[in-house]
Amino acid sequence: MLTARIHFVARIRALSAVLLFSSVLPASAVNPNAANQPSESDVEAVYLFDFGKFVRWPAAADQGVLRICVAGSQTFAAALQKTVANENIGGRPLDVRLMMHPADEAGCAILFIESTEHAHVDELLQAVATRPTLTVSDMPDFLSRGGMIQFQVVEKHVRFSVDLNAVNRAHLTMSSELLKVALSVKGRLQEGGAQ
Amino acid sequence: MTPPHRAPTISGRITRMNLLVSGSVLILAVLAFFSYDMLSFRQSLITNLRSEAQIIGANSVSALMFDDPSSAAATLQGLNRSPDVISAVLTKQDGSVFATYGPPDETDLTAKHVLPPNENEHHWLNGRRLLLAHRIMFEGSPQGVVYISARLTEIGQRARHYLVIAGLILLFCMLAALLISAFSRRLIAQPIASLAETARSISREHDYSVRATESSDSVEMSVLTQAFNEMLQQIQQSEAALRQSRDELEQRVEERTAELSAANRELEAFSYTVAHDLRGPLDSIAGIGYLLSNTSTPLDQNSREMLHRLQDSTKNMATLIDDLLNFARASTTPVRRDRADLSDMAQKIAADLQRSDPTRQVDFQIAALPPIEADAALVRIALDNLLRNAWKYTSHHARACIEFGAKLLDGRTVYFVRDDGAGFDASRVGEIFQPFHRLHSKAQFAGTGVGLATVQRILARHGGEIWAEGAVEKGATFYFTFPPASSSS
Repeated sequence: MLTARIHFVARIRALSAVLLFSSVLPASAVNPNAANQPSESDVEAVYLFDFGKFVRWPAAADQGVLRICVAGSQTFAAALQKTVANENIGGRPLDVRLMMHPADEAGCAILFIESTEHAHVDELLQAVATRPTLTVSDMPDFLSRGGMIQFQVVEKHVRFSVDLNAVNRAHLTMSSELLKVALSVKGRLQEGGAQ
Repeated sequence: MTPPHRAPTISGRITRMNLLVSGSVLILAVLAFFSYDMLSFRQSLITNLRSEAQIIGANSVSALMFDDPSSAAATLQGLNRSPDVISAVLTKQDGSVFATYGPPDETDLTAKHVLPPNENEHHWLNGRRLLLAHRIMFEGSPQGVVYISARLTEIGQRARHYLVIAGLILLFCMLAALLISAFSRRLIAQPIASLAETARSISREHDYSVRATESSDSVEMSVLTQAFNEMLQQIQQSEAALRQSRDELEQRVEERTAELSAANRELEAFSYTVAHDLRGPLDSIAGIGYLLSNTSTPLDQNSREMLHRLQDSTKNMATLIDDLLNFARASTTPVRRDRADLSDMAQKIAADLQRSDPTRQVDFQIAALPPIEADAALVRIALDNLLRNAWKYTSHHARACIEFGAKLLDGRTVYFVRDDGAGFDASRVGEIFQPFHRLHSKAQFAGTGVGLATVQRILARHGGEIWAEGAVEKGATFYFTFPPASSSS
């Protein structure tokens, strides 16, 4: 009788241990670098993915694979690839492509231009000017060059600014929720574009 | 008949019952309403907090995602339009605090309560606080948790309000119960009390003609009153019937007694007449017998014998007629009150008796007694009968003693005539005073059987008594009394 109870208690403990472990697991999976400070580019990769959730593309472009194009380093593309693996935005599967040439812009829903590509910014922006492509970069003068979202590091925090005029030109709609947390917003929200 | 002092009245019981029923119903109702209200109030509070949490969550998703605590704090600041909300905390998915709202000493919400990872919402109630945790979801993935703490002071306030309202209603109920019982006293207790009073007065006065007044207040009361009145009527009827039959019986007895005494008088008059009328022819027969026995013509032996028997029979018949006449006279003649000297009478009778047979040796002991008030003629007949009886029943003894005296017994004077003669069988003492009843044969002692009956009749007419004691060959004693009241005056 006594042994049976001990056995039972042991089983309960084992079970609760398993539960505890399994409950801890997803949290660490979502935020893998919770313990040590994530790097700037890791944060930018996550933000890039998250921007997609606050932007609406025109109906013609709002279907199929959502492609995120990276003009820059292979490292960032890989990091982004890792971030968005098995994820989707509004049911659209994600795809990361490293751009070798500005002409590769076809089908890019989001275009990230690394600051290393400073020299090709105008060319790249020109390539997607008539496309519904969200342009993001971490270079300091990106908005003045005609970009839409520009990362900025403020007190070791990655923040961003938005140029709504550029967004509107591309016929994209940006959620006010996103604008709310933007460091600064240039231009005005388009009529009916608010969420 | 009066009810015990501490017995409860019906109206008091009704009052208590009303109070008990209304009080318990009210308390139960208040409890039910209160718990329902508390439950629904708490539920609505939870619902309110949940919607607040959802709004906060939806508005701070981007802040969480893009690491903007100031925006989240601004969103949380919107809670200041809800006065119940004290504080709120927004935590990131890893549990670290992202933004807070409220006084610093109230923002350690996650210190004790953390939303379990497998739940999306939870609430805790402790004392005066309701804490609700809500997981913020965006596009199917969790972004963080919002904790909102609200005060429950309103619940306490509500409880106080309920208490006050319940108290007021209870007071009102008591008043209503008192009013109702005052009303019911008139309706229920009053008719019963008046009925009880009527019943009590009837049982005291024995007046069955009284009727309880019928009340139209309730069916039961009017049925009760009707039944009561019907019962009274039945009692009254049976009492009347009883009285009537008693009166009838009395009247019948009176009639019968009158008839009987009339018949008796007629019979006595008849027997007196017969006895009296028989006397004449008997005297003739006796006279002729006397003449015959004294004729000069000598009679032969046979004729003399027959004549002798004729004379004996004539004498016997004369005695019988005398006795019968005495008996009749004792029954019919009115009793006069005059002085009667019993001792003197007894002396004279004794002398007469001794003269009638001087050969007998009889010792008469006659006490000297004060005279009494009685009918002397009748008393003489009685005394004569008793002494003559004693004389007769001692005739078989060579020497005899006959005593007349009186003694005090239980405060009254009892006279007695005692002899030491043949006596009688004590078991037949009841027959001794009946007319024509004899305890001895005619051959033993001559007699008519009327003497003692005459004595008893005379004493009865004076209001006195007579009884006898005796045994065979041990003599007999006759005791008699006269009523003391009439004799003393």
